[in-house]
Amino acid sequence: MRKSVNRQPAPEVEENQDKEPSFEELINIELIESGEKERLMELLRERLIECGWKDEMKALCRSFIKKKGRNNVTVDDLVHVITPKGRASIPDSIKAELLQRIRTFLISAAL
Amino acid sequence: MSLPNDDSTSSTSDAQLNNIFGDLLDSIIVDVASECHRIAKLGLDRNFEEEEEEMRLSAQARVRVADPSNSSEANGKYVVDIFGQTHPPVANEIFECMNCGRTIMAGRFAPHLEKCMGKGRKARLKVTRSSTAAQTRHTRGNPGSTYSNYSNSNSTSRLPNGTSSVGGEEYSNGALEES
Repeated sequence: MRKSVNRQPAPEVEENQDKEPSFEELINIELIESGEKERLMELLRERLIECGWKDEMKALCRSFIKKKGRNNVTVDDLVHVITPKGRASIPDSIKAELLQRIRTFLISAAL
Repeated sequence: MSLPNDDSTSSTSDAQLNNIFGDLLDSIIVDVASECHRIAKLGLDRNFEEEEEEMRLSAQARVRVADPSNSSEANGKYVVDIFGQTHPPVANEIFECMNCGRTIMAGRFAPHLEKCMGKGRKARLKVTRSSTAAQTRHTRGNPGSTYSNYSNSNSTSRLPNGTSSVGGEEYSNGALEES
């Protein structure tokens, strides 16, 4: 069966972790455990809906689906369609707001 | 967990910020893609077929407008709009005036109403006729003269809304009953 989403295989859990968790990983764990990652995602989602970014992406998807045919499209295809335009068309104000929040979190997490 | 030294790692912390932001963004992109995929597969997008039809029609209309052989504004009395319809310069639908009962052409209705309902000086003279018309419709036994005096002042001070009971129900002095 064709996989509709290409995912990396889950990392193996080893008994002896000879590597220290990297700084990024630690931060990520802290983000998730404190719930801040979820809050940030909700904030970003809300901002992107407000500014119409989500509608633009949905329109891109729809035109791609129309061209390719409804039954030949995978989620992976759509992700590849949206990602370049999606990353580029984030309004600067939204990006700045999120980066500021993340920065604040990093500082507070370090203390 | 302590933050590394700021001088040497300010750029890396910027990079980290961007990484984290990119991570959030990727998750949201996958969500949007998955939602669109679901809607497409389940056929929930009701406008899917209509959009194609509309685009075809608008392309057709555009062709017709751009076509110079079609009649344009300067060309004769009738103008062709994008659907290929023509409209005569004066609206010619015919109906009945609810005030006086005459058959009027739609394009001439406004001037007719002016005279009929009493904006102008001549309307006052027509009052008897409108009161008779209203009377015959209601078949009420009201004294004609007092009625016409009232409806006279009424129609000059306030335009009735043209319903059949013009000047009848507006002032409830007890003389008239509700229909």
